[in-house]
Amino acid sequence: MIEVEHFTKRYGDFMAVDDLNLSIGEGEIYGFIGPNGAGKSTTIRFLATLLKPTSGEGRIAGHSVTNDPMAVRRVIGFMPDDFGVYDGMKVWEFLDFFAVAYEIPRLERRRIIGEVLQLLDLTHKRDDYVNGLSKGMKQRLCLAKTLVHNPPVLILDEPSAGLDPRARLEMKYLLNELRRMGKTILVSSHILSELADFCTSIGVIERGKLLASGSIQDIQKQLRSHRVLKVRILNENPSQFEYILKNHSSVKAPSVNTIERTLSAEFEGDGPAQADLLRQMMDAGAIVEAFDEEQISLEDVFMMITKGIVN
Amino acid sequence: MGMIRDNPVLSRELLVNLRSHRAFILQFVYAGLLATAVLLAWPQAGDGRIGASVSAARQLFDLFFYGQFILVALVAPTFAAGSITGEKERKTYELLLASPLKPSWILVGKLFSSLTYLILLLFSSLPMMILGYLLGGILLSEVARAYLVLILAAGTFGLVSVACSSFFSRTSSALVVSYLIILPIAIMGIYLASTDNFQLRNFVTLTLLPPWTLATWTIVVWLINLRLLRPPDVGSEGKDVMDEQEEQKYAIGVVIDRDLFPDKLFAPAKRTDLMPDGTNPVLDKELRSEIFSQGTLMLRVVIQVSMFLSIPLMAGFLFWRTMPGWYICYVLTFNLLVGPVFSAGSITQERERQTLNLLLTTLLTPGRIVRAKLMAALRVSTVLTLLLTEQVILAYVLVRDLQLQFLTIIPFFIIILASCLVTSSLGLMWSSLVRKTSVSIIATYLSLLLLFVAPFGVYQWALTIFPETPDNILRWIMTPSPYASALSVPIVGDRLTSTGSDISPIERPLAFAKVQIWVISLGISLLISLICHLVTLVAFRYKWWKARESV
Repeated sequence: MIEVEHFTKRYGDFMAVDDLNLSIGEGEIYGFIGPNGAGKSTTIRFLATLLKPTSGEGRIAGHSVTNDPMAVRRVIGFMPDDFGVYDGMKVWEFLDFFAVAYEIPRLERRRIIGEVLQLLDLTHKRDDYVNGLSKGMKQRLCLAKTLVHNPPVLILDEPSAGLDPRARLEMKYLLNELRRMGKTILVSSHILSELADFCTSIGVIERGKLLASGSIQDIQKQLRSHRVLKVRILNENPSQFEYILKNHSSVKAPSVNTIERTLSAEFEGDGPAQADLLRQMMDAGAIVEAFDEEQISLEDVFMMITKGIVN
Repeated sequence: MGMIRDNPVLSRELLVNLRSHRAFILQFVYAGLLATAVLLAWPQAGDGRIGASVSAARQLFDLFFYGQFILVALVAPTFAAGSITGEKERKTYELLLASPLKPSWILVGKLFSSLTYLILLLFSSLPMMILGYLLGGILLSEVARAYLVLILAAGTFGLVSVACSSFFSRTSSALVVSYLIILPIAIMGIYLASTDNFQLRNFVTLTLLPPWTLATWTIVVWLINLRLLRPPDVGSEGKDVMDEQEEQKYAIGVVIDRDLFPDKLFAPAKRTDLMPDGTNPVLDKELRSEIFSQGTLMLRVVIQVSMFLSIPLMAGFLFWRTMPGWYICYVLTFNLLVGPVFSAGSITQERERQTLNLLLTTLLTPGRIVRAKLMAALRVSTVLTLLLTEQVILAYVLVRDLQLQFLTIIPFFIIILASCLVTSSLGLMWSSLVRKTSVSIIATYLSLLLLFVAPFGVYQWALTIFPETPDNILRWIMTPSPYASALSVPIVGDRLTSTGSDISPIERPLAFAKVQIWVISLGISLLISLICHLVTLVAFRYKWWKARESV
């Protein structure tokens, strides 16, 4: 649905995005992550037809971003990271304005505006002035504007930025709802844990380069060889079992934390090797309270990728 | 002294304003222009005529005084009218109000920082003025008096502009209202200063002016202080939601009612239902929502002040004398002031408010957006300008001399409409070329001054440079100015000036071509508007892609 080929954007001597290639399939929710200034917004603005590339090409639903921007605009709904609202306009007028701008006939507009207001839980704000809305409400309104022409592709730049925890949670539910509606979504965010909940794939970008791209599971698989096992025991002296870890062929760099009574180590083995290690420890008299693999969160993936551990 | 020495507002503004290359270059150019004027006016060696140097000195003195007085009137608002609105637009106003700084400190900081550069410019002319004094014929006390008047004017105009800045939320509104208040005062000041009665001049400048100016300053400072001490509730996100109906309840004087004629011509009623199919949404939004988004105060002040000023001018130029061309010049000046307000911020405000990206990703083409912006600005400025022509129609109905030549009303109306088109087109063009509304408005005003007034200056200069060239050829230089166009429409029968000629002496210099000049001037106006529109379209298309170049 979204294809980016060799996209490069240079501002004078500064390389904002360097030879970026991306492919997002229909119905996918693609999380675009990266630190500030990494090139996320530049890529997103390029796809939203707002930026001329130095080189490269992008296609959305088969339409060229550079050669046929009008066709692209028909199929995308764009929500910028920073946006304003028009003064002196009510919520329904704001939506009507954009619906007319997307050439939606009057007969359909009434129904569509009602539906998006309901979807975004803004019906009670229908007659409020948009410049009097709170930040969270404005974010919702902008998302409502993004949906008025029912685009199959949504490009959302930091939709949760600056929202309070409740509004952020509500935004997450909304995006999940849109996912269920079959939209293809490209979403950038700093709140990585939110992306992990609903993204089918992610791309990590730093200093204009795409460091990793694919499904979260695939990327985590790449990190599998570095998974960390943690064993918590109830015995007084956990150090007495360290030799078992040291002698096991699948274990590397074991360490002991006597205060927390835990042993941890990098584990390179498979399931049976893991079961064998547990059995050896129990045979040696260890009272095992917990034997678990340390979970790798999206934050860890991001940190490991941007540190160059994985590429 | 601490209020000046330790004032953080003043320090910051001076640092930002004076350290720029632009400030240095502008001062250099200004001093260079003054030096050139002195060089041109300096008596040639061997010019033995008695009083040659005295007349040159007087000419220089007048040029410097009037020139700088006009400069103060035109430039003071551009420096001061954005001093507080700029804080509101940058969303730093609340930070300033919430600081322990007293309103008087903020005011002093803003006023001094706005006027310091202007005062520096004024004083950079002092050496040249002293050169004039050396030629003889001018008293040192006259030079001192001239600077006293200039400084009092700078202070007054600056304070009025800061006051407007504290009352409005947009620089454009503050700027236009400042000009509407300042320009009549400036014209009156020039009229009083031009009297040949030396004693009267001394009495006005030394006895009358200082105490009245100080009294005015006191009142204006009190008003600004009050406004800064008790700012209106700025609401969430630093923006206030204007409730038109609520605002109208407390309006003094003119009340704007969207449902009534003629108000509905420039401000159609708000929609209660969806737009019909085929509507240009940008045009609809501009006219129905944006026009009063900051309240109706600016428009109410503009309408009331312009109507108030039109009464004596109507009496003088339309009923007492038969000089409608001069009244039309007032209407054109009003349009010059008001036209840019509705067009020069049209595109820049979309950028400043961060709505441009939302607009550019819709299916609206640049041509449609630009056309809608132009139509909206043109409609509002034309209707407001035409409100001042009721007096012209009345005069053509009541005054017999005008009744007899009623067809002359047609060119006057065509000239006004062409001027409306030019002011709106130029404003929109600048709005598409620059990034900030304040810069766009000032650039538009400068361009309009160049178009409206500069041809007269060039004509005067050409008279001295090319004395051999026939006058009726040199007068074509004035053609681009709409003022020249208005004054060229032949009017017969001013009962006070008719001396066998069919036109008044004031209008005579421009009457050489009678009908032709306004036709040509109209052609020039249309050409300028067309060029502006094309430039706007190209610039907007270019920015269509380059909407946000910064990372």
